[in-house]
Amino acid sequence: MEPQPVAVLHATERREASAAPREATAVAVLTALAALAPFLLGFLSVAPNRLLSPRLVPLPVTTATTLCLGLFLVACLAVMLLARRAPLLNWAEAAAALALCSLVAVIGLAAREALQGASPVARAAPAAGLWVAMLLLALAAGCCAAGRSGTPRNFMALSVLGLAVLWAAGALADLSLAREAMARGGEIRLAFWQHLALAGGALFLALAVALPLSLLALRRSRVEALLMAVANGFQVIPSIALFGLLMGPLAALAAWAPALRGWGIGGIGPAPAVLGISTYLLLPLASAFLAGLRVASPAVIDAARGQGLTEGAILRQLRLPLGLGVMAGGVRVAAVQAIGLATLAALIGGGGLGALVFQGIGQLATDLILLGVLPVVALSLLADGGCAALQAALERRR
Amino acid sequence: MILLLGNLLLFLVALAAAPRLGWLWQALFPGISRPVWDSQSWFALLAEHLMLALGATLIAALIGLSAAILATRPAGRALRPLLDSMFSLAQAVPPIAAIALALPLMGFGAAPTLLALVLYAALPVMRSAVAGLDAVPAAVLDAARGTGMGPGRILAQIELPLALPVIQAGLRVALVLAIATTAVGAVAGARCLGTPIVTGLANGNLSWVLQGAVFTAWLAVIADQALRLGLDPERRRSNGRLAPAR
Amino acid sequence: MIRFEGVSRRYGEQVAVDRVTLEVPRGSICVLLGESGSGKSTLMRMVNRLVEPSAGRVLVDGRDVAGAEPEALRRGIGYVIQSVGLFPHWRVGDNIATVPRLLGWDAARVARRVDVLLDLVGLDAALFRDRFPHELSGGQAQRVGLARALAADPPLLLMDEPFSALDPGTRRGLQSALREIHAETGKTILFVTHDVEEALTLADTLAVLDQGRLVAQGSSASLLQEAEKGPVRRIFGKESLAFHRLATLPASSLARPEDARQDLPMLPADASLKQALMLMLAEGSACLAIPAEGAFPGGTLHWADLVAPR
Repeated sequence: MEPQPVAVLHATERREASAAPREATAVAVLTALAALAPFLLGFLSVAPNRLLSPRLVPLPVTTATTLCLGLFLVACLAVMLLARRAPLLNWAEAAAALALCSLVAVIGLAAREALQGASPVARAAPAAGLWVAMLLLALAAGCCAAGRSGTPRNFMALSVLGLAVLWAAGALADLSLAREAMARGGEIRLAFWQHLALAGGALFLALAVALPLSLLALRRSRVEALLMAVANGFQVIPSIALFGLLMGPLAALAAWAPALRGWGIGGIGPAPAVLGISTYLLLPLASAFLAGLRVASPAVIDAARGQGLTEGAILRQLRLPLGLGVMAGGVRVAAVQAIGLATLAALIGGGGLGALVFQGIGQLATDLILLGVLPVVALSLLADGGCAALQAALERRR
Repeated sequence: MILLLGNLLLFLVALAAAPRLGWLWQALFPGISRPVWDSQSWFALLAEHLMLALGATLIAALIGLSAAILATRPAGRALRPLLDSMFSLAQAVPPIAAIALALPLMGFGAAPTLLALVLYAALPVMRSAVAGLDAVPAAVLDAARGTGMGPGRILAQIELPLALPVIQAGLRVALVLAIATTAVGAVAGARCLGTPIVTGLANGNLSWVLQGAVFTAWLAVIADQALRLGLDPERRRSNGRLAPAR
Repeated sequence: MIRFEGVSRRYGEQVAVDRVTLEVPRGSICVLLGESGSGKSTLMRMVNRLVEPSAGRVLVDGRDVAGAEPEALRRGIGYVIQSVGLFPHWRVGDNIATVPRLLGWDAARVARRVDVLLDLVGLDAALFRDRFPHELSGGQAQRVGLARALAADPPLLLMDEPFSALDPGTRRGLQSALREIHAETGKTILFVTHDVEEALTLADTLAVLDQGRLVAQGSSASLLQEAEKGPVRRIFGKESLAFHRLATLPASSLARPEDARQDLPMLPADASLKQALMLMLAEGSACLAIPAEGAFPGGTLHWADLVAPR
């Protein structure tokens, strides 16, 4: 996932060099606020045990924390300066990632200091300052990428890499979030794979329905009208209601044919969730497929027919290659939606990362909620970035 | 219009009838001992649902519209990248995640839901308003300035009316989203039509789930229908239009 | 009426308008002619302060426009642009009424004015008043644009390539309509175009711009006589220079004072030499009769005189 410097260089060369792009102001303000946030809202809070509420503690001053804090501030300054030149926006993103990682390192190291000599049930958690700073840095990185209307993939890739390094080095081990994660390692891994299976299954199901129907709708305007009406209609129904509505019939189905239960089909479980999620994906998929199949203009299709190409050949040689980029855009939207919607699957016993979130809501446990939410956000961003790269590659090839 | 009123009437009748249809729920779910939802009145739940969703949409519309107007003025150009990046970040965080994250800070009840509602409903309004205002032809703006209209008058009389159809589409998305998100808010303790769903799921009472789901979905459909009708600019404009001459 | 005094406009490094000094007399049509990017539109947009000069000043009626409040200034100056820019959500009548309403006229007066203007630009008021812009053809839309500019009876009209997007027939129709309106109302008109033919048809005075500089100014005829220098020669098109020149000379100036023969094709006394040439080609005749009119006693125009070196 690490971006190759060569690619970055090429990207910067292509863009025109000009002073202070319009992103500069927003990036500068966001980064300045991010740099201030931990000082205003606190770095670290410590609770004597899991039940008592945490209280802000001052940042322990050691060589390591001071060094990392200095790095954080320098990186923030670098973001602001680099964003003043359009060709350097990619590097500003990288600096934002560095700022984020060094702030996390500060807090991880501070947690170790703060818990030294404390009881083993004492917990140290990042204070609001970290979360606010992370949010602001992510927005600043997004601003850097907004100019090229893309996702901040340098920022994301470098942040993930940096956090992974910090984790592997054990710098985060004393944060309560990490302790919770260690304690629930198996549970989280299971939830993660369940989540992927739910989202992937729903995406696959929706693709299997949307693709043939789009091809059919291309030629039959009545099929198109019906497909779009149905897909649009589903969008209106709240997901939680749709899941609920699907439970009854599926429970009845399972009662009628108990053999289906062996496949996981029943009123409770992954089946209504996958089915429900996939109905929401119909609209983005079908509309992007139809738009993609129509990228090849009627004049081009007419010319192809005039030269004697069959309908199949027109589809394979013209419509699909020309429209792949647009179609990939629809898959991108659908994939992100599927990952988000899969969070609700836990409500109807479908499992996934939502299970952690709802458990956390029940116990009012911030760490547990975060353990569910953070992977969902990471997965969405990853899916979005991955599909965006695919889309760009397909559109370049055209 | 008649369709909408009929639908609305049917909805209200169904809400009133639901607690009296014990035999129906019993027949559908024979294994459940208390199939009738009677913890709260359906109308109270509806009122709270509507208040949350409509109130949030109203606030969100104001925020989204102001942000869009600001971002399309020459002085607000620097705001554009921020709005873009907020939009793409928000897409990666499902509303339920935002509600869950706000919960430890704001406690159980309607507050976390309201926060998430406003955040998520403001984005489509803002995005559509920016798109609509951007789409006003440069020639029209040039002509407006050339005839001596001031910036405020151009905004009120030219830009906003021309962007209205697109803004309305965004508003519709926002309201549908708000009604759906409100229902999810039941998880965090917001009282609404989603409450029977969540309570039913927690207690294994599929009858409550079904009733809540039917009414939540029904409300969303009615809201969508009403907005399509009330906010359809094509219909409104064509009412006053003369027959085309050519 | 309008005076540009050493006016310049720079965009960063780029100089769009470079020290232009130009006077437009009251009641005349002054055409700014130049290729795209020559700065002609920029120069014109300084009059109603849609563009501010970087140096120099623009005077309207002897007053520096920089001292006027922009909106009030613009309400007193008609403005017509190539893409028309009718407000698509307003009916034709509302579009025309824009400035009168800004000026606070009462409804009855506005309504009367709209009908008068539609009539002036050659559109049937009853038929067009309540139409929406998307129901108009290109030519009709620009007529409405012209009516909107004239609505509050401004003494000055700015027209930025108003007919360039129209097809040739429609364009000629609007050009003659504009000439008639000008003769009727006596407005001062500053007209921007890149079309030489159009410039020669409309201009009382012509100002030629090239790369932001004013390279020539004067009447069409005098400009064409002197058009041997680089940029002017290029802009007019060196191949058709002679042809354009014919258009600026009256046919009567070369007529021999012979009695007009009845069997010859007749040419109106106010026709140009270009029209004479066209008639000769069309009729296959080397001689044309010009009837007497006013001070001109009548005569015959010969092919030999037309092609003789002057």
